[in-house]
Amino acid sequence: MSLRRFMHRTRKDEDLAEEIESHLAHEQDANGARGLSGEEARRQARLKFGNPRTTRELVWRYGSLPWIENGWRDLRFALRALAKTPGFALIAILVIAVAIGVNTAVFSVINTVLLKPLTYPDPQSLMQLMNASPRGSFPGANIPKFNIWRQQSSIFERVAAYDFGGAGLNLTGGDHPEQVQGIHVTADYFALFGAPLAAGRTFTAAEDSPNGGHVVVLSYGLWKSRFGGNPNIVGSTVQLDGQPYLIVGVIGRGFVTDTPADMWIPFQLDLNSLDMAHYFTVAARLKPGITSTQANAQLRLAADQYRRAYGSSALPPEDGFSVVSLQESMIGDTRMPLLVLLGAVGLVLLIACANVANLLLARASSRKRELATRAALGAGRGQIIRQLLTESLALSLTGGLLGLILGFVGVRLLLGINPGGIPRLGEDGSAVTLDLNILLFTLGVSVFTGILFGLVPAISASRPNLAATLNENGSRSNMGFRSGKLRSALVVSEMALALILVIGAALLIRTFLKLEAVDPGFETHNVLTMAMSVSGDRFQKTGPVAQVIRDGRDRLMAIPGVVDVGATNCLPLRGGFGMTFDILGRPRGNAPFTGGAGFYSISWSYFNAFKIPLLRGRNFTEQDDGAAPGVVMINEAMAKQFWPQSDPLKDRIQIGAGAGPAFAESPRRVIGIVGDTHDEGLNRDPFPIMFIPVAQMPDAETALNSRVAPLWWIVRSTMDPHTLVTPISAALREASGGLPVAHIRTMDEIVVRNTARQRFNMLLLTVFGSAGLLMAAIGVYGVMSYSVQQRTQELGIRMALGAQASDLRGMVIGQGMTLTLIGVVIGIGGAFWLTRFLASFLFGVKTLDPLVFIATTLLLTVVALIAIWIPTQRATRVDPMAALRLE
Amino acid sequence: MVLKRPPEAGDILQGTLDMLILHTLVMGPAHGHTIAQGIERTSENALEVEQGSLYPALHRLEDRGWLSSEWGVSENNRRAKFYRLTARGRKELNAAAGRWRRMTYAIGLILGEANE
Repeated sequence: MSLRRFMHRTRKDEDLAEEIESHLAHEQDANGARGLSGEEARRQARLKFGNPRTTRELVWRYGSLPWIENGWRDLRFALRALAKTPGFALIAILVIAVAIGVNTAVFSVINTVLLKPLTYPDPQSLMQLMNASPRGSFPGANIPKFNIWRQQSSIFERVAAYDFGGAGLNLTGGDHPEQVQGIHVTADYFALFGAPLAAGRTFTAAEDSPNGGHVVVLSYGLWKSRFGGNPNIVGSTVQLDGQPYLIVGVIGRGFVTDTPADMWIPFQLDLNSLDMAHYFTVAARLKPGITSTQANAQLRLAADQYRRAYGSSALPPEDGFSVVSLQESMIGDTRMPLLVLLGAVGLVLLIACANVANLLLARASSRKRELATRAALGAGRGQIIRQLLTESLALSLTGGLLGLILGFVGVRLLLGINPGGIPRLGEDGSAVTLDLNILLFTLGVSVFTGILFGLVPAISASRPNLAATLNENGSRSNMGFRSGKLRSALVVSEMALALILVIGAALLIRTFLKLEAVDPGFETHNVLTMAMSVSGDRFQKTGPVAQVIRDGRDRLMAIPGVVDVGATNCLPLRGGFGMTFDILGRPRGNAPFTGGAGFYSISWSYFNAFKIPLLRGRNFTEQDDGAAPGVVMINEAMAKQFWPQSDPLKDRIQIGAGAGPAFAESPRRVIGIVGDTHDEGLNRDPFPIMFIPVAQMPDAETALNSRVAPLWWIVRSTMDPHTLVTPISAALREASGGLPVAHIRTMDEIVVRNTARQRFNMLLLTVFGSAGLLMAAIGVYGVMSYSVQQRTQELGIRMALGAQASDLRGMVIGQGMTLTLIGVVIGIGGAFWLTRFLASFLFGVKTLDPLVFIATTLLLTVVALIAIWIPTQRATRVDPMAALRLE
Repeated sequence: MVLKRPPEAGDILQGTLDMLILHTLVMGPAHGHTIAQGIERTSENALEVEQGSLYPALHRLEDRGWLSSEWGVSENNRRAKFYRLTARGRKELNAAAGRWRRMTYAIGLILGEANE
């Protein structure tokens, strides 16, 4: 109502003016009728009406909203005042833009990863089923677990199992074979995630049972790219691993899975299987009204049931089942790093605020006369504070707008270079989009910043001593005691915050250097790796797989520049499989078996291709095949852990006893010990691994392997392996009868990927630390040069009285360094407390690493010294005569 | 500068002026000048207010929905803005007149007692 009035008041005023004219004319007419002359009639009319302007003002004021009116006036005035000092305004806006930019950047990542709900309908009720143990919980399921979870119909509305694409599928039958990601899912999967259909249907329960036939559902992306969005695609077939698959449906656009999927294939799980291998994950939707706490209570009973059925070897008494929300499960351990980054940019923002507040204080003291004049003319204290706050808000909002652009463009660039191994960000960070959350966040931070850096200077400036200020004959008055103290306090806090940031950055830099220095245990240079999917029916037995490896190796070795070739189902630094084992003739420990270790099937030339040293015994040879006696090699970590006193080469081990029929095999003799490799990541200690020759795998195990993991080829060359990609892919295609290879990467690239997150954290914190340090340096420079300028007279008198340049220099430096050192002490104290939050990111460095603390303190001190030195030079060049004449 | 008046006096005067305007318009639509003259004449010139202060009141009453207005041509053949009493205005007039009578009656009682 009143806003409408406010918007229309100009038109209304014109209306009123005309109305008043009309009134006067009528009165004039009436006066004329009483016999007055034209001029007198008009005069009398005006006299009787009073001042028309007062009337109009009364009506105008009635239609006015004072806060908009005043705000607008303050804003116009603020812009005029800022335009008068463009240098100041520019610096302040830039400092704010950088600080808000880094905040927007980090928040936009947090928004995407932590805040945005999953894109599935009703995402809160989607749960991931977990194996809970005192050591932590992890997803993963076998068929017996899936069965028990499916039966919990009191808590779950729907339960579905799916894998992560595993080996990949070879899409053949077109002009070019292509490796695609096919996810195996149970029939309920689509209903569980609410997947929209673009065409056709999803699987029936019958199609999802063993021998249910070859059917496939395509993703929207594959449908468009490979089949040109053909509307009649449903009902036709595609060749997958040489087998025809009937296309029954196409999933609609916008259905996003965590691992990008090109197609979905029915899992066709044999639910009667007692296979204990975990090779898929399970998600469920809670029934309406059921909380995750209630679900977890019910799952404790389910765990007891499972334990009774399969024994405590399958599920130790301290372990159990649980649910966590699917979103939590996807976010995983990225929450803490992101929050630490948010904390770091928060510190940058505080430093920026202190910096701009200092600039404002300096500016306010040169505007003292202006403010005093305004106060003398009747401006209230509130009005002056409001005016100054409007100025700082104008600065912070402009800076915020610039920061929004800076931060958003910056984060997309950064994620394009290094996504940091953070989930939910999409391809090169494409999921990070500008949305209302980010706009509101940036607006909120801008307003908060404007008030934070504007309020203290505004309050201190609104307390002018009128008489004293107005009577001063120049602007060169001494810096007021109060504002001097305030500015020093701001500089001290800038120094302290900057030191905390720099210490954090230095800890991460040291972590990264330590990681770089880790010897992975194999030679990473000039090694090319690539994946070949062997998921087709051809490779369900060991013989053909061994044959492909033999043929492939022969062809690859013929390529000039290739030195050695290996193959494996587990690539170092990419994670692998594990299995239990028993050492024959040894009593079992607490568990039903002696221990567990990594379980890699490798070609006989694997160690040569990676140059992993043989420590004892002998290496595998081509003769260790299915016909020869069973052999196994172990790494040093396994030898040390399980044979601390004895010689492993004298023992035989039984692998996977009780793990299910697929793993039934006879004992193997330990024939050799190789050096350790950091297979779980450079920041993890090597763990025990047993290696067995691919050619000696039981067929059932090979079938399982072929289904869940690709065959990795390892090619060592004498030259840059990138140049060999084409001949290598061609040779492997020939050797395998037309199978494509994918995920072609050098081992060096895999190492870089492995440290991507540490690199990401280090990079960001270094940028934040440098920004903080620079701002703090500018801050101390600003305060010192202002102080020197204010004390020109005093310095001049001192010089006139015989002080040497070195005395003055010492005095100014002493003052500046005192501030710096107070800041350093506070900063070290803060870092003592805060670095503990970095503990989980560090590797090879303690949170209180003395080297880091000493080096960063020195760095900060030197930077501060340089910043102080410049104004000091000016102090020693004061001309005493000129200084005194200023009086 | 905002004019400072004793608020209660202002309120009473303002309320009275409002009531008089509404009352004047019972006879039919009229423009500002006619209304001002009407109030002066019917009060036998006792309530001679500055005519300019009439307009803020007219605008306020229109804003409250008690009056509506439109431009027209006056008896002098001049353009003028005519105000018309709305249904809500009529209701308000009755209410205000009732309040006024009760108050004058009460004041009369008090003064009568004091005189005795």
